[in-house]
Amino acid sequence: MPPVRTRLPGETVFAVLMLLLSAFLLWAAVDISGLKSYTSAGAYPMAAAATMLVCSLIVVAQTARAQAQPLEPGESAWRAFVRRIAPPVIVSTSLAIAAYMLTLEWLGFVVASYAFLVVTMRLLGSARWGLNLLSSALVLGAIYLVFQTVFSVVLPAGRLWQGVFS
Amino acid sequence: MNEVLQYFFMSWVDPKLVFLAAAGTFAGIYIGAIPGLSVTMAVSILISFTFKWHVNDALVLIAGIYLGGVYGGSRSAILLNIPGAPAAIATALDGYPLAKRGEAGAAIGLTTVMSVIGGFVGILALAAFAPLVSSFALHFGPRDYLMLAIWGILLVGSLSGGSLAKGIFAGALGVLIASVGLDPLTAEQRFTFGSVQLTAGISYIAAMIGFFGVAEILAQMHELHLKAVKQDVSKIVPSWAMVRKHLPLSLRTSAIGVGVGALPGAGGDIAALMAYDHARRTVKNPSRPFGQGAYEGLVAPESANNAAVGGAYVPMMTLGIPGDAVTAVIIGALYIHGLKPGPMLMIETPHLFWFTVGSLVLANLFLLVFGLTGIRLFAKVVDTPKPILLPAILVLSAVGAYAINNSIVDVYWMLGFGVFGYFLKIYGYPVAPVILGMILGPLMDRSYRQAMISAQESPLIFASEFFTSPLSAVILAALSFTIVSQTRWWKRRRGQTV
Repeated sequence: MPPVRTRLPGETVFAVLMLLLSAFLLWAAVDISGLKSYTSAGAYPMAAAATMLVCSLIVVAQTARAQAQPLEPGESAWRAFVRRIAPPVIVSTSLAIAAYMLTLEWLGFVVASYAFLVVTMRLLGSARWGLNLLSSALVLGAIYLVFQTVFSVVLPAGRLWQGVFS
Repeated sequence: MNEVLQYFFMSWVDPKLVFLAAAGTFAGIYIGAIPGLSVTMAVSILISFTFKWHVNDALVLIAGIYLGGVYGGSRSAILLNIPGAPAAIATALDGYPLAKRGEAGAAIGLTTVMSVIGGFVGILALAAFAPLVSSFALHFGPRDYLMLAIWGILLVGSLSGGSLAKGIFAGALGVLIASVGLDPLTAEQRFTFGSVQLTAGISYIAAMIGFFGVAEILAQMHELHLKAVKQDVSKIVPSWAMVRKHLPLSLRTSAIGVGVGALPGAGGDIAALMAYDHARRTVKNPSRPFGQGAYEGLVAPESANNAAVGGAYVPMMTLGIPGDAVTAVIIGALYIHGLKPGPMLMIETPHLFWFTVGSLVLANLFLLVFGLTGIRLFAKVVDTPKPILLPAILVLSAVGAYAINNSIVDVYWMLGFGVFGYFLKIYGYPVAPVILGMILGPLMDRSYRQAMISAQESPLIFASEFFTSPLSAVILAALSFTIVSQTRWWKRRRGQTV
């Protein structure tokens, strides 16, 4: 007997979101140049979006048929989603990456990356601040050397310091 | 003959050229291995400061980086489960389970030897069969390229082992992402939604770093409390018996690598996946089930992707058509040096052809040396505690994405695709077809429209031509078989668990 497929918390919502995304992309593909020709700019994207739509319908049906994984006693579906799929460490690290990117050009590569490394190491459970400060400096030094010197990648110097050092 | 040998060994007797071949190969291995660095990117940047060099110096260095980089992607695939390059996607399927079993050293050793064997087969094919292979590739029409690309994506989707619908969904998504921007034929805007940033399209390198780097790191955060897998890299040099046992498979898949590499647009990535699929279908008693640490699952893709290097040089040197992204950049380098790759290159400057063949052989020998040494240093990086290693890879990924166009927008894309890729992974959608769809998307778009125009825009003629051309019919049969072999009906017939 084949093994019974089980469904993770939030999987049905994700499958439906993918279905909606496919439908939106098909609409956007039709909007490119309409249905005027088989070789128009929109014909090929339409074929790809239609493929996505058909596949996502199959995925929704497969997911709906699958058996939901049992919840812990007294646990809501949302709590199960947070515990299994989006625990605080993943959400906080994703926010830290977003903050790093938003401040990269403003603070400059060195300062923003150093702050990001130290903070993320702490978020991921490295409690020794001294070790975090030292390893962040070593990692940053190595990356800076490889990209700036060997590959001549111009890394952001930081708008904040423009008036200070020049 | 004497002249051929003289040109062949030119890079072997000049200490400067020997040094450049060694340095290129060594750097290539680490560029290929470090997530966020790609060989295409490295060669593109190299061209910016080698265009003043003598053409021979540049060609030797590029040959080393290319061969080393294709091999290097396997290291991070085995040790981190992050393929350093698309050509190493199939390697991760069995390489990482092997590392988790504590056999990372043996996996890397076998990978090195098989890559070198594949490399030699590719170079031999380049030297011996270049005119034949290239004339065969000339027979491919747009219809055939379209089907080859679809077949490649289907193969990746079916290799994931999960739902085929999710695999095809992911491939089609990649194809759509690649079509964002201006249509190359009509300059109409596609999926730009009025944004100026989107008219330039979305960088597939930023997407690759997002899907394979950031998404993998986020997924690894579920296992922070677990003790890091101790990578045993003590027994690196494989035994002769081990090499001899896998030699027939290596030679077979090297031949696949050469053939696929020689097809314009189809490089080491498709070659590796086809070779993996070939191994999965033909090896009756693998060392372990495929996907759980089978050595055959390493031998096949690694022999094929390095053999594809020699194969990719064939259309580049003889027709001026790139075999893959790296050879496309190398063609640019040849133009910068005043050379015109194409049929006349071999007639007017035969020395350049034999010099390239000799340089590739030299680089392949250095690959054996550097591939079997220095692994402990790389493995030590992997042994670093995850709270330190993961943020470091995140910064490396951000810088890698930024370096493509010196643009912060690519970094935003990387994070977006990273978070999206995390949910795809968690819910069982394979992410590799997204990337392959992005890489092959423009080729498919162009090929579809060329084929449709040649069929006078008649869907009936377009469809009938798939059966009237023997070449198209063969590829269509292979493509159909890939789909049928994933159906419940076929699996039940073969006695596999559905």
